[in-house]
Amino acid sequence: MSNVVLKDVHKQYQDTHVLSGIDMNIEDGEFVTLLGPSGCGKSTILRILSGLTDATGGNVMIDGKDMKKVPPKNRQVGMVFQSYALFPNMTVYENVAFGLKMRKEPAKEVAEQVEKMINLVGLQEKKEAYPHELSGGQQQRVALARSLVVRPKVLLLDEPLSALDAQIRKHLQVELRTIQRELKMTMILVTHDQEEAMTVSDRIFVMNQGGIAQEGTPSEIYTQPKTEFVANFIGRYNVFSKEQLGKLIGKNAVVSADKYAIRPESIHLQPQPSAYKLHAIAGDSIMNGNVIRTIFHADNKQFTTEQLHHQASAFEKGVEYPLFVASEDVIALS
Amino acid sequence: MAYQENEKGFVETMKKFTIVMLILIGIYLALPILATALYAFSTEWNKTILPEGLTFEWIRTLFQDTRFVEAFGRSVLLSGGAVFISILFIVPAIFVIVLYFPALEKWFQASVVMVYAFPGIILSVGIIRFYSGTSLPMILAVTGVYVISVLPFMYQGTRNSLRNVQGRQLMDAAELLGASKMDAFRKVLLPSVYPGLFVSSLLSFSVLFGEFVLINLVVGSRFETAQIYLMTKLSTSGHIASAIVFVYIVLMGILTLVMATVMKKAKGMRRT
Repeated sequence: MSNVVLKDVHKQYQDTHVLSGIDMNIEDGEFVTLLGPSGCGKSTILRILSGLTDATGGNVMIDGKDMKKVPPKNRQVGMVFQSYALFPNMTVYENVAFGLKMRKEPAKEVAEQVEKMINLVGLQEKKEAYPHELSGGQQQRVALARSLVVRPKVLLLDEPLSALDAQIRKHLQVELRTIQRELKMTMILVTHDQEEAMTVSDRIFVMNQGGIAQEGTPSEIYTQPKTEFVANFIGRYNVFSKEQLGKLIGKNAVVSADKYAIRPESIHLQPQPSAYKLHAIAGDSIMNGNVIRTIFHADNKQFTTEQLHHQASAFEKGVEYPLFVASEDVIALS
Repeated sequence: MAYQENEKGFVETMKKFTIVMLILIGIYLALPILATALYAFSTEWNKTILPEGLTFEWIRTLFQDTRFVEAFGRSVLLSGGAVFISILFIVPAIFVIVLYFPALEKWFQASVVMVYAFPGIILSVGIIRFYSGTSLPMILAVTGVYVISVLPFMYQGTRNSLRNVQGRQLMDAAELLGASKMDAFRKVLLPSVYPGLFVSSLLSFSVLFGEFVLINLVVGSRFETAQIYLMTKLSTSGHIASAIVFVYIVLMGILTLVMATVMKKAKGMRRT
């Protein structure tokens, strides 16, 4: 049985359509990410799921039960906010215990569960500290522990890592995924960071302008973008019009679509079997950690290539090079 | 190198200038207060630079005068009552509007500006003309005006506290953890914004306690407050008047100290 189902969900504020016809089926124990730019409606979906905002139309079901008339406190949905929303007047222990106390759990049970959860997020030393005495990463762990301790059916994560620095963010992404697998809990993450989405998700819903642009596994989304928007948003794809690509690799190669996408790492200097050949002039090269990104120009079109740093060929700026793209790496967009 | 030394020299000079200016302003502001306080404790102070002697006579006389004690009590009752009514009725409205109907805030802000826009004299004439023909006691009309006149302090303080702690998200988080709206308000939101609310209340109280124009014009000696009592004493005894001012300054000093302590110790006012 699907744990979370959204059927034709709409949300409208006066004349503005924030969400239009959202359909989602999220399986029990799945880690799903809603990925998209700011204002695309992804956080609104979380607020509708939690009951904090009402949908203008459509149905939300959790475990087969229609949530229309169920208030937020009875939905068994947890939420971790972008700003953590820790209660400033309570210690770490009190914050984590709050939900259990509201559910009138016995004191002994509360103490056991809270200790267990504080240990899970590694904050034993900080349980008597107030939120303002903690770092951003520690506050985020408290927020996570506070939401997890009440064992929600679904945990919603609204850009929970966006305020943290890159190193802590990456560490917490892995930790989040580990905890999710350990607890086998359904989690829905909202983010605009495609790397984060790829790292943690079983499935990704790419959103744009209040609708779902594409859904699939991280691998499907990355290797088979369906639209120009997804190709641009998910991974620095080079997007060509039919005419532009026709000039580069030959008109016979491009027949089925108006636009095509090629991943930067799919363009090689070495000949490939069944590959298209194109000629382009090298521009600037940018070192980006383990990847070297080089800008090429051909027929007034600019595109980039990416090579692993240790395998990279040196391109001389202003020199024309022959480049190769495998036919299966030229993706037709709809 | 020479440029850096010049710049350093300029910064040093400006620093010294700022300190001197601050000291001069401090002296300018403190001298009248110190002189008044000293006069309240002086036996005679007419022909000498410093008082000829010190005494507690005027303070003692003041507190033995039942008129003063009653006037002081009325001031506390009137100011405290108005602030209490404001907390009871206006603050919940501010909570609801700021958290759930932010679009309505512009009306609140307009009301706040109107409070500043109407001088006491215009308000008092308006109140006298409007309520004098009704059976409503004028003191109640003044109390109503007081409740409204502290709106800017209560609104700013409460709204800033709510925004500082991101009140709406705290309410949402508490509700998702199983709390009812009332529980979330009582156990999470109120303790989080309490220091700001407390400071706003004390500020409002101190402003109302010092109010003279409205109460004097509308009610006058029929409801003698500390400020009206002070006015009558100004023409009879400078020492007693100074003693009243001294008591007032001490009261305001205590209130300021309490506000500063609350702000310093407030856990809830710090952003998480």
